[in-house]
Amino acid sequence: MEALHEQHAIAVVDQDTARLSELAYRYDVMTLGGNAASRRVLQDAGVPEADLVIACTSRDEVNLVAAMLAKKLSAARTIVRTTNVEYLEVWRSGQLDVDFMISSELETANAIARLIGIPAARQTDVFAEGQVLMVEFDVPPNAQSGPTVGRPLREAVIPPSSKVASIIRGNRAIVPRGDASIEPGDRVVVIGSPESARAWGAIFAAAQRRAEDVVVVGAGNFGLAVARVLAKEGAHVRLVEERPELARVAAEELEHVRVFSASPLDAGFLEREHIGAAHAAVFVLPDDARNLYAATLAKVNGVPFTVAVVLEPASVAVMERAGVDVAVNPRLVTAEEIVRFAHDPRIQQVAMVEGDRFEILDIVVRPTSPLVGRRFRELPMTGSLIGAIVRNGTAIFPHGDDMLQPGDRAIIFTEAARVPEVERTL
Amino acid sequence: MSTLGARALLPLRSRPVLGVDIAGALNLVGRLLKYFSGAFAAPLVVAAGYGDPVWPWLVSGAVTFAAGAGLERVTAGGEAVGAREGFLVVSLTWALVAWAVALPYMLAEPQLRNPVDAYFEAMSGITTTGSSAIADLAAITKPVAFWRDLSQWLGGMGIVVLGLAVLPKLRVAGRQLVESEAPGIEYEPLAATIRSTARRLWLTYVGISTAMFLLLSLFGWVGVDDRMTEFQAATHMMGAMATGGFSPQPRSVEPFAAASQWVITLFMAIAGANFALHYRLLRKRLNPLRDEELRGYLAFLAVGTALLFLALVRSHLFAPSEAAIRHAAFQTISIMTTTGFASTDFNAWPSLAAYVLVLLMLVGGCAGSTGGAIKVVRLLLLGKLLRRELDQAVHREAIVPIRLNGRVVDERTLRTVLAFILLYLLLLIFGTLVLLLESARAGLSVTPFHALASAATTLGNVGPSFGFSGPMGSFAAFSPFAKAVMSVLMWLGRLEIIPVAVLLSRRYWRA
Repeated sequence: MEALHEQHAIAVVDQDTARLSELAYRYDVMTLGGNAASRRVLQDAGVPEADLVIACTSRDEVNLVAAMLAKKLSAARTIVRTTNVEYLEVWRSGQLDVDFMISSELETANAIARLIGIPAARQTDVFAEGQVLMVEFDVPPNAQSGPTVGRPLREAVIPPSSKVASIIRGNRAIVPRGDASIEPGDRVVVIGSPESARAWGAIFAAAQRRAEDVVVVGAGNFGLAVARVLAKEGAHVRLVEERPELARVAAEELEHVRVFSASPLDAGFLEREHIGAAHAAVFVLPDDARNLYAATLAKVNGVPFTVAVVLEPASVAVMERAGVDVAVNPRLVTAEEIVRFAHDPRIQQVAMVEGDRFEILDIVVRPTSPLVGRRFRELPMTGSLIGAIVRNGTAIFPHGDDMLQPGDRAIIFTEAARVPEVERTL
Repeated sequence: MSTLGARALLPLRSRPVLGVDIAGALNLVGRLLKYFSGAFAAPLVVAAGYGDPVWPWLVSGAVTFAAGAGLERVTAGGEAVGAREGFLVVSLTWALVAWAVALPYMLAEPQLRNPVDAYFEAMSGITTTGSSAIADLAAITKPVAFWRDLSQWLGGMGIVVLGLAVLPKLRVAGRQLVESEAPGIEYEPLAATIRSTARRLWLTYVGISTAMFLLLSLFGWVGVDDRMTEFQAATHMMGAMATGGFSPQPRSVEPFAAASQWVITLFMAIAGANFALHYRLLRKRLNPLRDEELRGYLAFLAVGTALLFLALVRSHLFAPSEAAIRHAAFQTISIMTTTGFASTDFNAWPSLAAYVLVLLMLVGGCAGSTGGAIKVVRLLLLGKLLRRELDQAVHREAIVPIRLNGRVVDERTLRTVLAFILLYLLLLIFGTLVLLLESARAGLSVTPFHALASAATTLGNVGPSFGFSGPMGSFAAFSPFAKAVMSVLMWLGRLEIIPVAVLLSRRYWRA
């Protein structure tokens, strides 16, 4: 919503009219009460004239029916949100007439798995089929000055095949010119190869190794997805779930995950099972307050890296203030995916950084762009930055003498407000 | 006051309502018996061919048909066989078919004139045990020898399953019948209906049997093994494919060439594995080694062979040669698959070998095989259960579902497995004690080990024991009571105890 309403005319359909009126006061959107799986409601909402229909209610089947009806009513592209991985697989094999399908659970799980894979990262995103990574790192407040930290960037040691896209100090974003430096307590956005991302992680978290022993707390849909993805990536995953029936279902579903039916707030249990010895813990309880308590208790027990999935957007700040290393908002993750699809068709992918303050675009350069044929060092420093280009399928991390060519895919870090400008220029 | 009033109205001890349709069950048993009488045609042809009297086979066939048809007639109308009647049908069918099989023994074989001996031989046949009450095997006629092995071959894949495959469509819940009769922990459908699953299993069985018969006959024709006539090939094929073990030879398969013994070894191993796997391998080219039970089965066979080989070589009975490997492998596979052929007299083997063989008698084949005893899959699940107990002793909150081939086995099945193994061991102990006490009473010299081996061999449907009832010996010397007890053990063992045991509970009969 927030990401889309400025550039597009939006109609929102929901059964809950109270929520709709709240929305209508906040954003300039049209609202309509009713069942999204109803043909008449969709017609009233203007679906026949729409370019894009996003079906993201909490019920998979309603979303699917709405998308099918939309296909019949109009030529609009359709996006469906689902919680069911099986629907996603059916869609991928081309058997569902839906243009784009997304699962909040799976996207969130993938995002968390990437976080855990790179020490000190607070957010990651992949581009160009995994060849390019965007990572936002926390520089520890007690970081010692060294070859990278506390030195002007032109002199600092930067892992090869990577670029600093932005330095965020408090609320201020610093354009990474040669005289800027990375200081303790900063957040740094880096674009680079997967190897360089790990090298960056090692700089900021020298003591941390790759997380092999991960504890996931909560076996709801999100918890299951997180445990499944982590186990698939080779981590030893322990899943803690208080409700015995859910624990049983999880144990039967996930063959390589060890499941415990116990309260994550039970200090005795944490001690018996040496939960504190885990390299990382992910908290996905359906209650932000309990989630925070459980995460804090795990920290007290010695878990070095904690990630919490939050339900309320306001909880992100609360969690991070209280010491949870990263708080992930699944709505934001999902919104990001949907926005990627809704943008300029030349744009292959979009990622959002720091809420949606910054965006990373993956865009194909037009032959008529004024920037084509100019060397990188000649490009103006405007706060937007080309982190990598993909030429003929391979990623290049450009140096000053490289030139931008028509047809290149540029991976660009930019302020959200400047996205239209970047789209025009390229 | 109100309770007093109710008591006055209702008789305090009302007659319990019967919850089993006995007439319906008997009707189906009669029908199965009637169709089984067709089996007498085969020995009839053999008798005619070898110039032996054909009347015992005609009479037996006629009596079986009449008994079956009569039972069907008397109970006509009640053909509503449900899941509960299945236990009764299967248990009764096996008990009665054994009598049908025993008839020609009483009529045609002087050594089996006593009904107890004839019933023992017949039960040993259809349950694919292979223990014999015949003292002098050299004296029996060709049709009798053929009938012994045919009864094993028919019992191997299951009489009720055969009935379901060939009978005109039965209006019954066939699933319970198949589950009660088929060895293993669960019925594994190969097709949408029980009938076509039964047909596919029997077709696979017939196909592999034919291959074995042709291979053995070929050895006779080309002169690899001069003793392997078509008659010997047919009888040994039936004995091996059913994991039965009746041989027309007094010294089992000892006289045959090494090549024949290897072929029999191979086919015993095949018969001890799951026929559903064979079907999938032959029809759908699915790799059977992906099955956890089969891997366990092969591991058991390999360890058993290695132990026996070591025992043989260390006791200098054999030099480390092809013969030592062959005899070790043959005996391991023959005993563990519960066949019971012998390539040499293992009665004379060192005690380590004897202990290994008795332990292998408890293991048995795979689920869905023709083998008996506990079955590899149950031991596999028992192992997993014990490992889980140890795990949860340390990690109280851990939830550890038990998986087989990647699929979760539900807790109820696991409980049934535990109950089965417990019942099996209790019966084994009980059988051992009865045989020991009864033999002492009859003045027979039977050691505790011999009694244990004899109980294990009959309960597990293996065949040979040790002592006088060893591989080259006979069970004839046991007292009639001991033979009756062993017949019951064979019956219980073949039906895997529970279908028979439930008939003993009051809850089964009550509505």
